[in-house]
Amino acid sequence: MEDYKFLFKVVLVGNAGVGKTCLVRRFTQGLFPPGQGATIGVDFMIKTVEVDGEKVKLQIWDTAGQERFRSITQSYYRSAHALILVYDISCQPTFDCLPDWLREIEEYANNKVLRILVGNKTDREDREIPRHIGEDFAQRHGMYFLETSAKEAENVERLFMEIAVELMEQAKCKELPKYDGSLGPINGKTTSVGDSGCCLRS
Amino acid sequence: MDDDLPTDFEVIVVGTGMVESIVAAACSRIGKNVLHLDSSDHYGGLWASYNFDGLQKFIKEVNADPKRQWPVYNLSEKWYIEKESSEPEQNEDKKEGDENKTDDSKAETQKKIWSQANFTAEYRKFNIDMTPKLLFSRGPLVELLISSNIARYAEFRCVTRVLTWLNDRLAPVPCSRADVFATEAVSIVEKRMLMKMLTSIVGYNEEEMNNEFKDWNDKTFKEYLTHKGLTPNLIHYVLYAIAGGTDKMPCLEGVKECKKFLMSLGRYGNTPFLWPMYGSGELPQCFCRLCAVFGGVYCLNRPIDKVEIKTLDEGKRVVAIQSKSKTLNCNNLVVGIDECPKEMLPTEPVETSDISKAVFITNGTIMPSEKEPLTLLRFPPLTEEGHAVTVLEVGPATGSCPKGLFVVYFITKMVKDAESDLQQYAARIFDFSGDQTAESDKPKCLYSLYYNVKDTSVPVQSVASEVHVCAGPDVGLDFDRAVEQAEQVFKKICPGEEFLPRAPDPEEIVFEDDVTHGPEFARHDDEEGDAQ
Repeated sequence: MEDYKFLFKVVLVGNAGVGKTCLVRRFTQGLFPPGQGATIGVDFMIKTVEVDGEKVKLQIWDTAGQERFRSITQSYYRSAHALILVYDISCQPTFDCLPDWLREIEEYANNKVLRILVGNKTDREDREIPRHIGEDFAQRHGMYFLETSAKEAENVERLFMEIAVELMEQAKCKELPKYDGSLGPINGKTTSVGDSGCCLRS
Repeated sequence: MDDDLPTDFEVIVVGTGMVESIVAAACSRIGKNVLHLDSSDHYGGLWASYNFDGLQKFIKEVNADPKRQWPVYNLSEKWYIEKESSEPEQNEDKKEGDENKTDDSKAETQKKIWSQANFTAEYRKFNIDMTPKLLFSRGPLVELLISSNIARYAEFRCVTRVLTWLNDRLAPVPCSRADVFATEAVSIVEKRMLMKMLTSIVGYNEEEMNNEFKDWNDKTFKEYLTHKGLTPNLIHYVLYAIAGGTDKMPCLEGVKECKKFLMSLGRYGNTPFLWPMYGSGELPQCFCRLCAVFGGVYCLNRPIDKVEIKTLDEGKRVVAIQSKSKTLNCNNLVVGIDECPKEMLPTEPVETSDISKAVFITNGTIMPSEKEPLTLLRFPPLTEEGHAVTVLEVGPATGSCPKGLFVVYFITKMVKDAESDLQQYAARIFDFSGDQTAESDKPKCLYSLYYNVKDTSVPVQSVASEVHVCAGPDVGLDFDRAVEQAEQVFKKICPGEEFLPRAPDPEEIVFEDDVTHGPEFARHDDEEGDAQ
């Protein structure tokens, strides 16, 4: 089997154009994709990081554009360990939509999921949302908070590393949402430790 | 908000039921430009799963507007428990973490007394299917999910047991070879007989009608089983539980059903079946996700008003769809039967028999077992004119309900109406007294919902060749007909193209913008090689 001790599913949500894909690609590939080319065929990205000498594999899921008309499938939220809600600090409407996103998260995500609010695009000169407003909002809704710039690579590494650290800590105290017991993927690519406890290869 | 919706597409899909979603994924996967709409605010149409709140809203919506042609009718909902709990400790606003812990420890000692308020408080933990279905482990949907790589969006649990109703009680059906030999309900002689018969069924081949079955074309499966010398108990297992049939089932249909069952044994668990985590309603969404990943545009809450076929100057035809005062154009329209405007449907109605369904929520399993069971129960018809009844019992481990509860689905072909068709079966396995404290060997039913659904599973040809109408859910146990129909629709739209080729894993994707091109490769050798 692959060499990692923990596998966590991290999902991103937020309005179209706030930079979700850029955050993922900055972190996983170390680059800032030029232009707004739709990422055809990209489902989730994987990066293995090291926390306290242990390998942690992060599976980072993007919305595949379904957020554009507010049509994300519920199944997208299933089995997520962490959820990153992103807005654009230079675009008030993306901040105003946060309560709608929270409602959707409440409805479909596991209520123990780790939630992080991210104000992206700190490189922009035309900031509309002061940092403390974002911070306040996060605090009121029990979320972690960070401002990032995918373009300048500011705080991106930190965002995902903190998620990895926090999830690992939770995993060790067994506070993590548990998704075990299911057969898991039927193609046998991933083992799931559950009732059946075996690797299911087709 | 959705008025910046683009207007020109190669394929527009309306409705997010199973067939429509598979077609959408397949078209998008091979590069077609796809728009996928649904008139409601959630995925799945008649194939959806609802949480408890969503289910209530759905019932209200149908009851509030009976004039609209709903495919669902005769909805009858009933509670068997108090509105509010009389117990003082049920103060569980949002502290679900704590509440779970107490649940765990309490379950050991005493059963929770449920009230309607508890259901409301824990509404999110329910996933109640309108079209609950199983997957055969080696059936076409499992194979498609694996070959297309869509399996990565879903998780499954194995059905742990198959039960039947035999001699007025529930009886486990031995399904695997090991089961057959381990069971005490079957004698050694019977075991030999059964294994021999099952072996000949596995050898059955439709094309070359082999000797074993060639004289059985016009006889019933029961006659065949009797002819084989099977004892009444064995006939019951094979006919009612394994083939899911009735006394009238034609022999070859029974053989086919049995073969399907037997061929799916031994892949994942002890039975041939899988159940999708969080319910069957997840599956259409998995296909939608794939469609989106390959560029499909998604917009829920977007009903269509009118469909017209327009002929352009060069004689080219387009489908023009009116939706919220916007015209959407496409070469091919794929539309679920429940979303299809009447003008696109043939005028003579199709003869079908409707489906009777019920959902029960109970406080325990119909037959206790060591681990949480996931059960398929097949009832033989209890009355002369009745049909076989399929029962699926799913528990909290499937993400279908909170701890301490089970969701039990009943499905049969309609004779009179859902309640009269199914109540007598339910009464055999549930206690409807509503008294949760009284001792009983049956689980208590806390909530029931009966309803009928129009059987829209017969394929319908639309009046225009560019409009493809997708069938609704059938009464069958699996998704096989939906998969088959989706593939047919796809082949019509994209002849010669591969149906859902494997989607790459993230590790295999090369982003165009990261490729740093090296120096041009010296081509001479290649060219020479080609010339030879």
